[in-house]
Amino acid sequence: MKLKIGFKVEKRKNVSPAAQIMSLMIALLLSALATGLLMVIGKANVAEGFIAIYKGAFGTWKASIESLVKATPLILTGLATVIAFRARIWNIGQEGQLYIGAITAYWAYTQFTDLPPAALLTTTILFALIGGAVCGFMPAFIKAKFAVDEIITTIMLNYIVIYFLSWLLSGPWKDPSHYYQQSPTILEKAQFPILMVHTRLHLGFILAIVAALILYLLISKTPLGYEIQAMGFNPTASRFQGINVVKTMLIVMMISGAVSGLAGAGELFGVILRLKSNISLGYGYTGIIIAMLAGLEPLAVIPVAILFGGLINGSFLLQTTTNIPSALVYVIQAIVLLFFLGARAASVYRLRITKSD
Amino acid sequence: MIENLLQAAIIVNILGSMVRIATPLLFAAMGELVSERSGVMNMGLEGTMLTAAFIGFMVAKNTGSLLLAICMASLAGGMVCLILALMTITLGVDQIITGLALNLLASGGTLFWFRLSYSQTSLENTPLIEFLKPVDIPPLSDIPYLGKVLFSHNLLTYLAFLVVPVIWFFLYKTFYGLQVRSLGENPKAADMTGMSVIKNRYIAVVIGGLMAGLGGAFVSVGSVERFFPDMTAGKGWLAIVIVIAGNWKPGRIFLATLIFAFLDAFQLQVQSIGVQFPYQILLALPYIVAIIALISGRTRSDAPESLGVSYHRE
Repeated sequence: MKLKIGFKVEKRKNVSPAAQIMSLMIALLLSALATGLLMVIGKANVAEGFIAIYKGAFGTWKASIESLVKATPLILTGLATVIAFRARIWNIGQEGQLYIGAITAYWAYTQFTDLPPAALLTTTILFALIGGAVCGFMPAFIKAKFAVDEIITTIMLNYIVIYFLSWLLSGPWKDPSHYYQQSPTILEKAQFPILMVHTRLHLGFILAIVAALILYLLISKTPLGYEIQAMGFNPTASRFQGINVVKTMLIVMMISGAVSGLAGAGELFGVILRLKSNISLGYGYTGIIIAMLAGLEPLAVIPVAILFGGLINGSFLLQTTTNIPSALVYVIQAIVLLFFLGARAASVYRLRITKSD
Repeated sequence: MIENLLQAAIIVNILGSMVRIATPLLFAAMGELVSERSGVMNMGLEGTMLTAAFIGFMVAKNTGSLLLAICMASLAGGMVCLILALMTITLGVDQIITGLALNLLASGGTLFWFRLSYSQTSLENTPLIEFLKPVDIPPLSDIPYLGKVLFSHNLLTYLAFLVVPVIWFFLYKTFYGLQVRSLGENPKAADMTGMSVIKNRYIAVVIGGLMAGLGGAFVSVGSVERFFPDMTAGKGWLAIVIVIAGNWKPGRIFLATLIFAFLDAFQLQVQSIGVQFPYQILLALPYIVAIIALISGRTRSDAPESLGVSYHRE
């Protein structure tokens, strides 16, 4: 008789919060290693590179505030992803919804320019929310009515919206005094109030924090939140529990779209101050990464988004101090996500040594 | 008389560019078909094509060999899909999220590498390559009209059209094709017959990647002399739409590809003869049509039963 020793891979039921955080740590560590490797490939001094990233992100008080500015749209698109993904609705349309929010808010701005500042501000924000909500509603409606996957429709809408914006900026809304496709500068009275003098931190940051709190309460303390969680857990079972899955989906997608739309208004009226086709540096897609890393928890989105906002600014300083292109930041973001997903998936498994005769 | 001639020339032009535009879509969609029939949805198709387009460009630029460039592009596509397979099949990570992550990695990675290699280049000053030139197939290309439409393209285009019957034969007439299809419908039953679900899914996904890689190669070295960021511009996503619109059947996918390619060719022609119409709307047309196609095609879906579901032995 010979004793056989083997390994058996077992699957645990759930990912514990500890495993979730552990996965995030491992992912960050591995991504830092990969980042260092990319710096070596780019023939830059690795230590210098990391110092540049840190300095650009949180090195000074001013840099930290600027990282909050960058984090503002990311918190919002992250939240937009959280609420949709929690209900297992795969909204990938944050980028398009952000742009539609900016477009509708800009339209409102051109129509109601004569309103007093406070009223104008409220109007533009309201229109950004509505625009984003409508843009989120469309794929949800198509899904409800024709059973078409929202993933593809939301992505198609991203492309369509970009071309639509390009058309607006080449004709109707073009600033005639400029060669580039962009609108005239937003009047000062319509700009988002600045929170701190000599910085670019604007009202949008507060709105983003408030949105995180509201979504946290919505998901964890309201009947709608219960329905969202039930749908995320098991859509078929929720139907039998008397949840109106279609209605919940429509509402979730509208909220998700509205939150992204708000991000668009924030960038337009708070930072860029002109409507143009690069008001988002892929914030919609980065928001998806942030939401995943935050474990789809609304409040956890805030620190992760601030970290990523810092990373964006850090990569800008990296580009000016070394010859590493700032596009590195997109590579890091994707790598963090991949490592995180891999580590989290691996943490579900347990290796057990088996003995058999 | 002269007007008629012009019109015939225009139609030949449109159909010719339809065949050209269909090339990368055919590669990608046929590859995606194999992958999806095995049960794995490659949502990273866009990134797969982009990576391949970039690698193809870089190899062509650095070695001057287009054949090598195309081979390496295809391999690069296979590599990206190998990562996808590792994540989704082995680790059981959600296929949608993995695909998205790979798209972002491809988009950022190619941009990073391109800027690293050719920093400070303006549009007038970007690196250029000799791209794959059309090859006339002598007696056939001399056929009036038809010759110009069908037999005056580059080698990748001929290959793409050859791939359609090959994939059909592979899926429906070979034992391995039968295995792939059974994996997508019922992996558990397939597993019980003793076939390796994991191994065969890996192979199907990598085949999909190699083909998407050829599609990516066509986008860069097969059609233009330069590389620019995100140059695949949604072709991967369109290929996914085409697989759905083609109801997971090779023949219909071929037809759906031609329809999308025709639309694109048509808008190009409209742009080039300078019709007063916002070109952005024309550019958005394929995506609008994609949504319409999905809406009208979904009711008779023959999607593989286990598409998108990772498989683990109980």
